[in-house]
Amino acid sequence: MVKVEVFSSPGCGKCARATAVLKAVAEELGQEKIAWREVNILQEMDYAVDLGVMSSPAIAIDGKLVFASLPSAGKLRAELSRRL
Amino acid sequence: MYTIGKLAQKTDLTTDTLRYYEKEGLLAPARKTDAGYRLYDEDAARRLRFIKQAQQCGFSLGEIGELLTLKNSDAACCKDVRSVAIEKKLQLEHKIRALQRMSQALTELISICTEETRPLDECPILAALENSMAKQANGEGNG
Repeated sequence: MVKVEVFSSPGCGKCARATAVLKAVAEELGQEKIAWREVNILQEMDYAVDLGVMSSPAIAIDGKLVFASLPSAGKLRAELSRRL
Repeated sequence: MYTIGKLAQKTDLTTDTLRYYEKEGLLAPARKTDAGYRLYDEDAARRLRFIKQAQQCGFSLGEIGELLTLKNSDAACCKDVRSVAIEKKLQLEHKIRALQRMSQALTELISICTEETRPLDECPILAALENSMAKQANGEGNG
């Protein structure tokens, strides 16, 4: 199971739209293979800092910061496919 | 209207600082006298209070410039400012961690020096710093 964590702040409309597109990519690859979690950066600031998140939105995969800013759907698909 | 000296006095800043802000594009006189002296209005004083407050929250002058641009932009909204603030908080949290690591490193160095009367060439703190620099030069201790 690949763990994907998207760090963003509530109320960020741009993040929500972009995140929805990426979530659909993850779901296409198989919901049973990917655990998708949306992290409220304000509630989990310490965890975000632990992973090295410097700006939001950002994506960590399996507990490591992989995308410091939101990737394109293609880039996320490639990264997840590589790990599955 | 305020002269640069009066405005500096009113905002507890120096005239050099105000000129610097003007050079950085953060402040502009409302107009100049015939003799070329800068004259500022109440809006400039408000702007300077904004700059001071933002600096206290850790924003650099460049970032404050961006905030001022957002403040005057019709297309921007509160969410945009909030994003900037969240990003700044993240940066500050990273800095706090870095400072904590530095402080911890110093605690460790201090703890190895138990005899203050040793000569400098036997100082364990200097030796530890030199050793760690040598290790880094040899590519060790990076993981």
